[in-house]
Amino acid sequence: MSEQAHTQGACDGNAAPYVLGALSEAEHAAFVVHMETCAVCRDEVASLQVVADALPLAAPQLLPPPELKQRLMAQVRGEAAGAETPPERPRARRLPLWRPGFAPAVLAVAALIALLAVVLAGGGGTTTRSFRATVHPPGAAGVVTVSGTHAQLTLTGMPATERGRVYELWVKRGGAPAPTDALFTVTSAGRATVGVPGSAAGVKAVLVTSEPLGGSRTPTRPPAIVASIG
Amino acid sequence: MRDLADEELMQLVRRGHAPAFEVVYDRHAGVAFSLAYRMCAQRAVAEDIVQEAFLSLWRSGARYDRTRGSVRTWILGIVHNRAIDALRRSAVRERGRVSNEGLEERLAASERTDLEVARREEARELRVALETLPGEQSRVIELAYFGGLTQTEIATLLDTPVGTVKGRMRLGLAKMRLALGDPAEVAR
Repeated sequence: MSEQAHTQGACDGNAAPYVLGALSEAEHAAFVVHMETCAVCRDEVASLQVVADALPLAAPQLLPPPELKQRLMAQVRGEAAGAETPPERPRARRLPLWRPGFAPAVLAVAALIALLAVVLAGGGGTTTRSFRATVHPPGAAGVVTVSGTHAQLTLTGMPATERGRVYELWVKRGGAPAPTDALFTVTSAGRATVGVPGSAAGVKAVLVTSEPLGGSRTPTRPPAIVASIG
Repeated sequence: MRDLADEELMQLVRRGHAPAFEVVYDRHAGVAFSLAYRMCAQRAVAEDIVQEAFLSLWRSGARYDRTRGSVRTWILGIVHNRAIDALRRSAVRERGRVSNEGLEERLAASERTDLEVARREEARELRVALETLPGEQSRVIELAYFGGLTQTEIATLLDTPVGTVKGRMRLGLAKMRLALGDPAEVAR
């Protein structure tokens, strides 16, 4: 069996370069689309992927420096502690509701707030606005819908992300776009609907970039989608 | 905690359990760091890549899908992709033999547990499988996987048609699969 024989035919022999990460971005995107309809390539990728997954063990095995773990665990413990703290704060500042005359006043304010919410919801107080996004992938389209303090991005015709990458949604309020935890991929038809995390108040733009798995703190690629709001 | 399987630990990590994350780190940081260092040949860059990879696991563990592979494979996939990004961003790629920066001296101390000894044996089998391939097949696999080169770049580097590069990659991986029996067990 010659080396050239494997590369002939419609599949172009890209399964092995694919599992080794040796396709260019354009080749990778095209091969991902090709695999959706080619069982031969899917099977070949599955067969070769297990070898590629084991390849890291072919590297000389080293112990990571202890200071790496110290830095990482300090950050992780700090974030774990930070995540637990916020719910405690309001409790510490809670006012004594049992004070004579205070509880009825609180109930009256709560009733007023509830009434206001009902009026706003029923009386057209919440309007829905749509903003068309500037989209860079050819054939794609995007719309951000803002309803009250909630915003949602709807995409169509988007290309699949490359292997090992996801789309990440960024929110721009004032300065540089801030990362969010909204990481997503698109369906085989190129569609995605993504809620914009947090309140839409003050958001000037919503952006989407392709990032490595797990997302990034700063964009590593130019935006594929930019939707200005307001 | 240390008796729990990776998938059970990940359920705790999703809920922000730092001790569970630490166990996952202890299990997989070695091979992750070794891969990053083999690819980038710079200790500081390798440390950054491993730190980023594990932080992404900590912050987005909810996106780990056990049906798509083991925790180890997921982490190593992140490390591999980030190392490729680092290599492709870098203006100067130095792909010579990696300097050890004193790191290989740490190996002797690492062979303490049965698990570590088993890992070393698996690593040895993998290296033997790769080294016993015909040179032109192991070279394209190493240039692609550890060097972060695209098939077109490899073809240019070796002055060989791209089709031949693809064929060598495929034949080499297929032979390694036969030599290793069930590579999925090795990768786990």
